[in-house]
Amino acid sequence: MRREIPGYHGCYLRIDLTDGSSTSVPLGSQILRHYLGGSGLGVAILLHEQAAEVDPLSPPAPIAFVFSPLVGSPLTTSAKFAVVSKSPLTNRINDSLASSGFALAGKKTGYDAIVLVGQARQPSIVVIDDDQVRLESADDCWGLPNQETRDHLRTRFGQEFQTATIGQAGERRVRYATISHDGRHAGRGGSGAVLGSKNIKAIAVRGSRRPQWAEPTALVQFAKQLSEKSFGPATAKYRELGTASNLLTFNRLNVLPTRNFQEGSFAGATAISPEELSVARDRARASCAACTIGCEHLYSMKNGSGSVRLEYENLFAFGPLCGIDDPEIVLEASRRCDEWGLDTISAGGTIAFAMECVQRNLLDEPWLKFGDGQSLLKALDSIVSGQGLGPLLAEGSRRMAHHIGQESIAFAPQVKGLELPGYDPRGLQTMALGFAVGTRGADHNRSGAYEVDFSEAVDRKNVGPESAHLAVETEDKAALMDSLILCKFLRGVFTDFFAESAEILQLVTGWDVTASELRETARRIVTAKKRFNILAGWTPAEDTLPRRMLQKPASDDLRGHLSLERLNELISAYNQARGWSPEGWLLPSDMQSEIL
Amino acid sequence: MVCLMPVTVKVELFGIPRARAGVAQTISTGNDLGDILTDMASRFPQLAISCIQGRHLKPGFTANLSGHRFVTDPDTLLREGDSVLILSLDAGG
Repeated sequence: MRREIPGYHGCYLRIDLTDGSSTSVPLGSQILRHYLGGSGLGVAILLHEQAAEVDPLSPPAPIAFVFSPLVGSPLTTSAKFAVVSKSPLTNRINDSLASSGFALAGKKTGYDAIVLVGQARQPSIVVIDDDQVRLESADDCWGLPNQETRDHLRTRFGQEFQTATIGQAGERRVRYATISHDGRHAGRGGSGAVLGSKNIKAIAVRGSRRPQWAEPTALVQFAKQLSEKSFGPATAKYRELGTASNLLTFNRLNVLPTRNFQEGSFAGATAISPEELSVARDRARASCAACTIGCEHLYSMKNGSGSVRLEYENLFAFGPLCGIDDPEIVLEASRRCDEWGLDTISAGGTIAFAMECVQRNLLDEPWLKFGDGQSLLKALDSIVSGQGLGPLLAEGSRRMAHHIGQESIAFAPQVKGLELPGYDPRGLQTMALGFAVGTRGADHNRSGAYEVDFSEAVDRKNVGPESAHLAVETEDKAALMDSLILCKFLRGVFTDFFAESAEILQLVTGWDVTASELRETARRIVTAKKRFNILAGWTPAEDTLPRRMLQKPASDDLRGHLSLERLNELISAYNQARGWSPEGWLLPSDMQSEIL
Repeated sequence: MVCLMPVTVKVELFGIPRARAGVAQTISTGNDLGDILTDMASRFPQLAISCIQGRHLKPGFTANLSGHRFVTDPDTLLREGDSVLILSLDAGG
């Protein structure tokens, strides 16, 4: 019996791939109000499914596609979904977000989440057509890249179906394989490998059920105002230039990770900057469904391979991090990752780490060199072909360092196994704290602490424990945005994010929710992720940074030094600001509370 | 009353401010941040429309001194040879 709550369907669909059976699991109003949707609801479901203790690539491991109360509403940027599972890269919680039609169609199937467990006997596609569920053979698309798979499935099932697919990387269980929808990716942490381990090439969804909204007229009015504000200066950077415009700013501030974090600025930055690319190449803009910002900027390839979406993170990872200043190589590497379903940050980070191992004579692969674009492409090819160095690169930098030994772990660019994004923590020390304590590892989307560093609130190269509560605040905001779900590029549009989010939720659900309640909700969600990690084997020792970052400043900026002692002070202050023990353990009550 | 001599600083623009001004860097003269912003607004009307209001930067933009300290107070005094960076506030992506 469905218990409909405005904004929700009140249940999730649980599919056992081993026998093809499916069940509807009720979600009561308390769990929904406590965890909302997206990342928050996803981690609650995973705790309920006891996912923390299992091998993430084994059949019992669940993977959840989670929608949110705002999906399908007229609110700009709300067409998003979260993919939540235990990460095969970190063995910790992983929640990745993606956008567009899959979220809209998925929610219309009549469920707030779709959870897959078990393992299909053969390569398969999960087809969900309202509440009809079936597995179909994927023999005709196994081995295809993402876009070809999507096009093939569109022909096979019809335009009304939306698909989430894996490329060859997911099929090969590369530990940082993505799940792709419409050219966008649930990118970090290897959810594509989890789907691949279940023999699932794609999920195709179509539906006809829309939940009601509590105050539809007022919601439409609110959405109209939010859209108008989203055309303003707070989003101009994303709209007009895209995230890639961070490159020259970060370079100037000496926080652009270069040659595997050996330096903080890159002499070739201008050559690959979007400012330069826009002069030499055609540029087009695109946006997700239901988005008024339109942050995607696609640049044409000179080799005739069409256009490639360029974000700061793939630009940094295949450019400065690997010492590459050839834009054609950066675009081609990005294109291949899109097609094969590879997380560009982890791919670039792992290859850059391997390049430094070669530089230090720890790895006998002399063809792999910083600055050599062809060797970058060859390394990427090997990850997906499984040839040569590929199987080792496919494991990510932490496992690779353990394989190589000789203290190489000191410069493997990862926290908890997740490769660092393009922010040098030595010059952004509130962000360093965010990286160290992040539940999914080094991550710029679950902690927005760089915002604190880019302000007058702290000296970014010498932050003290007072920055801890500011880091908590950005993490809580991110947890709420990822659970409502709204795009983070909208954050500058809000005057009081928690209060305005409460207003949105009131209009959608009819709950008498307040800003104060949502602050508590955000904290509950972060705590639930920590609980998952503790159950998965977390210890305080893993809340740290690569030793390189703590031994000396970036070579070209002597002021950015963060010692282990000072990082530990920051972490202790953070844990206490969260109400946890100084080491980061949860209270017994937080470990034992009921989830569903 | 203290009478300050105006100093000459390099102004570096990034992101939207660069796109609006149409230049990556220029030279400006003044005593403090507000003077520099006023000068920039008078010389680059498109920059003024999007990014500068009087002696302040509009919301969404920030300034940094010589790659080190972020500043918003228009009365922040400058020294000869400083660089004033004007940039979009949001990072991320």
